[in-house]
Amino acid sequence: MLKFTRRAAIGGVMSVAVFAATQGCLTAQAHADGVHDVLNGLIASYSEHAKEGMSNKSVGELFEKDGFRDYLDAYPVGGLADGFVWKPGMGATFTGPYSKLEIKAPFTDYIPLPEGPVLDPKKTYKIGFVFHGFNHPWLISLADAAAWEAARHPNVEIEVIDAEFDDNKMGQVIDTWVAKKYDGIVLWPSREAPMGPPVDRAIDAGIPVVSVDRRTSSEKISSEVLGNFYANGLQEGLYLKEVLKAGNIVLNRKDLGSTADSIRTGAFLEVIGNVDGFNIQGNYHTNSQRTLAFQSTADALQAFNDISVSFNTGGEEAMGALDAIREAKRLNSAPDGKKIVILANDDAKEVLKEIADGNIDMVSPYTPLIGDIGIRAVIKHIGAKEGLNDAPPKLIMTPNLPMITKTKMVIEGVETMTPDEWPYAYGPAVN
Amino acid sequence: MIIAEATSAPAVRASGLAQIIREPILWLVLSILVLGALTSPHYLSALNIQNLLRNAALVGLLATGMTIVLITGRIDLSVAANMVFSVIVAVVVTSWVGRELGLRWIVKGNTFAGSPLIFVAVSLLTGTAIGALNGVGVAYFKVASFIMTLVSLTALRGLSYLATNGAPFYLKGAFFNWLSDELWLGVPVSFVLLVVLVLFAHAFLSRTVAGNRLFAIGGNETATLYSGITTNRYIVASFALSGLFAAVAGLVFTARLKSVEAALAQGYELTAIAIAVLGGVALAGGTGSLWRVLTAAVGFSAGLNLLAIWGVPTWYQNLAIGAVLILAVSLTRLNHKN
Repeated sequence: MLKFTRRAAIGGVMSVAVFAATQGCLTAQAHADGVHDVLNGLIASYSEHAKEGMSNKSVGELFEKDGFRDYLDAYPVGGLADGFVWKPGMGATFTGPYSKLEIKAPFTDYIPLPEGPVLDPKKTYKIGFVFHGFNHPWLISLADAAAWEAARHPNVEIEVIDAEFDDNKMGQVIDTWVAKKYDGIVLWPSREAPMGPPVDRAIDAGIPVVSVDRRTSSEKISSEVLGNFYANGLQEGLYLKEVLKAGNIVLNRKDLGSTADSIRTGAFLEVIGNVDGFNIQGNYHTNSQRTLAFQSTADALQAFNDISVSFNTGGEEAMGALDAIREAKRLNSAPDGKKIVILANDDAKEVLKEIADGNIDMVSPYTPLIGDIGIRAVIKHIGAKEGLNDAPPKLIMTPNLPMITKTKMVIEGVETMTPDEWPYAYGPAVN
Repeated sequence: MIIAEATSAPAVRASGLAQIIREPILWLVLSILVLGALTSPHYLSALNIQNLLRNAALVGLLATGMTIVLITGRIDLSVAANMVFSVIVAVVVTSWVGRELGLRWIVKGNTFAGSPLIFVAVSLLTGTAIGALNGVGVAYFKVASFIMTLVSLTALRGLSYLATNGAPFYLKGAFFNWLSDELWLGVPVSFVLLVVLVLFAHAFLSRTVAGNRLFAIGGNETATLYSGITTNRYIVASFALSGLFAAVAGLVFTARLKSVEAALAQGYELTAIAIAVLGGVALAGGTGSLWRVLTAAVGFSAGLNLLAIWGVPTWYQNLAIGAVLILAVSLTRLNHKN
């Protein structure tokens, strides 16, 4: 609930002043720093501002109801390991061992490891990589990047296992690798809580464990390679604020409680929380499923004639929403005959094509091509255990990436990229 | 150990050795263990055997409950959802009790770390009550068990999300560590629990009038009714027992993961059915042996573990499970025919 006290008013004015000053500096700073730091600055500003309260009642109520503050406060936002600065164009190109697709991975220079034998060249190191969903383009790409990195080192053997979204099965796979005395384990957990105990058991057995993209509940874990969920949601909000001052929004979200949903949606709401013209008209959990996003958007289109914005926490949701809007022939059905603004995450090639065609308006890239970082991190942990090198940091943040729009824009100091300029899109190409 | 099979007909008993030789499931388990020992130095390590027994305990508990319902010629698709829901209800109730009584030590944040007495009692009562509710729907309102328990499955998953808002709940404390990690003479306590409960359930099915009537209902319900037996209460009891076993499985499962959340264990009802079938339980009802189901649970877990030790991708594992199931069912049928 908002309280308009004198203290809050003074605090608010000061925050606005600090916020405005920061904004003014950012355009100049953006060229000096990497996009990572610029976006982190914006995250801090908007978060601070949102903590003072949200003037938009509709947004504020949803933000309160789903407890976004708790999630946002706990999610790490920070600098990159070893002062790394990511620039567009960086990274290696290879053929994905599983997808057989041409891949350009953005972060192969991050926590680098030269090609060739690693650590003790006379030893063979066995690393297990367990994840879920060999049938999903995002997840295959994650495994592609991990297997590619392992293949660069002749004395590293990798075993890749799909736990098929069964937490108990993933735990059993890890326990099996502990019994087989593997040298290191990298995992992509579907959910945080259940993966803590198996990770703890592996660490207790002296095996370094690194999680990629998502966290586990283990406090002992060797390293966590974490993505840019906060920057994703923030940029959806920034774009919307740039192109619209008001409108009704329909949200297609992931499953309740998922980190991707909590942070992306929460960050988006933080940005638009003090723009009074926006109204949350529909709020659906479509659980990363295109068919559910299609259904919810179709339902919303039936119920409302004045939808201006379709917010989507993922690429699958955005494609489902677009399918429904197309089928209903409602692409230009926003008030005054304007196009419905479709906001997306995840830079699948299919989503980028829709941006190039002018159907989806923007995407915040969330690259799966980070499995390689996990493998390098766990190798370095094995090396640290053997006294051959220093251990990498426990928290390894991946670089924040600029948003992709049809034409180049500069939004609050961040220069967007066009689909043609973005070589890192994942998944199969579409015509 | 004498393996006795309780059937609707007078129990058929052969000499222990003769019966063991005739058990295809036992041969399957022995083959897996020998194959594992020959192909991997890690397979018969104490740590690995403990891992596979812990998993056998979980799926074995679910399959035991499922078997009791299958014996009556019904099916319980809600076991996995009930398993998660019963623990979530225990979380909610202990939170409420803790708050009302000012016992902050019971629940702090979203972590249970207090005495497990209320927690376990509420969990077991909930699982049993949900099972009994299924039974009432099937027996008294004549809803097909497939439909009734499918509805339960969906409703329980929904209620679990509603109760937790999708968030995980952490389970900490000596009880959960004991249930998950404790060993008795090198055997995980959860597996000992399974064996003890199977012993009781087997005694109930083979040594009591009520148990024999469950077989009779599955063998020929109409004949059972005509013989003057009120079948409805036994059907309700079989579902209640299935719910009770699901709740115990829920405690074992969540203790292993030290947490519970609504999305856990999706599809485990199919694993329970697969193990029951592997153990020779007829889906049409009337026959079934809990000892075979227990052996099947160990075999299922040992087989999956061997494939994992070999590093076989999970899609090949699924194929192997299917092939073994077909083989086991065929052998069981041939064995019974002979």
